Amino acid sequence: MPFMKGKAPIRRTLQYLESSRLVLRDRVKVVMINYNIHGAHHEGARDFVFWHLPQLQYKNPQVQVTTLKNMTPTPFMRIFFENGEDVLVDVDSKSRTDIFDHIKKVFCKSDTKLAEEKREAQILDNPGNFGWGCDRQCICEVPGQVPCPGVIPLPKFMRGKYKYGQVDE
Amino acid sequence: MMAKSLARSALFVGKCIAHELKGAAKVEVRLLELDENLHMYFPSFQHYFADDPKEECKTGDIVLIRELPEKKTVLITHSVEKMLYKLGDVTDPITGKNVIMSKYRDQIKERNEQFGPGEGDAGGFNYEEAPPRGWQEGKKDFSHRVGYKAWHVFEPGHPLHDDPAAS
Repeated sequence: MPFMKGKAPIRRTLQYLESSRLVLRDRVKVVMINYNIHGAHHEGARDFVFWHLPQLQYKNPQVQVTTLKNMTPTPFMRIFFENGEDVLVDVDSKSRTDIFDHIKKVFCKSDTKLAEEKREAQILDNPGNFGWGCDRQCICEVPGQVPCPGVIPLPKFMRGKYKYGQVDE
Repeated sequence: MMAKSLARSALFVGKCIAHELKGAAKVEVRLLELDENLHMYFPSFQHYFADDPKEECKTGDIVLIRELPEKKTVLITHSVEKMLYKLGDVTDPITGKNVIMSKYRDQIKERNEQFGPGEGDAGGFNYEEAPPRGWQEGKKDFSHRVGYKAWHVFEPGHPLHDDPAAS
């Protein structure tokens, strides 16, 4: 681990950041967490921010993740959706893992959905594909393949009208 | 500062800061920017002018702003969607009660009543009877004015004494 400075520098490794599965749903735009610096009932919220906030921001770069400290007696999270509505999550006296599980279950994409999206991304990345959005428009561009019939007519045995006897030579 | 890793969305939560524009609120949005070498997030601030025709947002309030489909003026690009927390008058969204940091206001009032006022003491700030924020604006409250920092004041004889850029 380079720059092994500070408390729990494992939080700053790429492996740790990328291994998180806290990918928020598309509708979520802002995640706001209110907690206090002191108080045993805020411990879970403080631990969640310490361990999981960088992961949450890393996996969701388009979401604003903010913290507000020492504003209210009890900790809570407020998640804003794109229509302006917000959802309150009471995290008073909850442990870090409870908060993590709750956020994952309610606001994040499920593991099956993530696997599906990953598979779709792989299909798009396949260099063997051709067409719109791919490296090659048509297979006829590749040397060694059948040339474009618009440029060079196909041989008669490959053309349907000669093959099936509609036109006599 | 590189902004390529910052969030670009239509909704932001930010804090109102002092500005010189009428009918708008200048909102400071705190985003987190990833430092590529340390793999650590550092705060990075972006400022937006949000349409607030009734001037309800005061300096220090936390608001939710939304990007306007079309810019209202050259500077005003967002509008205030919702006021979340007023400075000094925070309402806890879970209970709906007024709070001050880690105590409820009615809790503080009850405690003060039990102790009673001290000798020659007015009894502390009375939240119920106090007028809303803004009545001292311009007289005692100057939080709406943009401040400046003067690191060094040159004496009258010095060549840089009147220079506004020299501080």
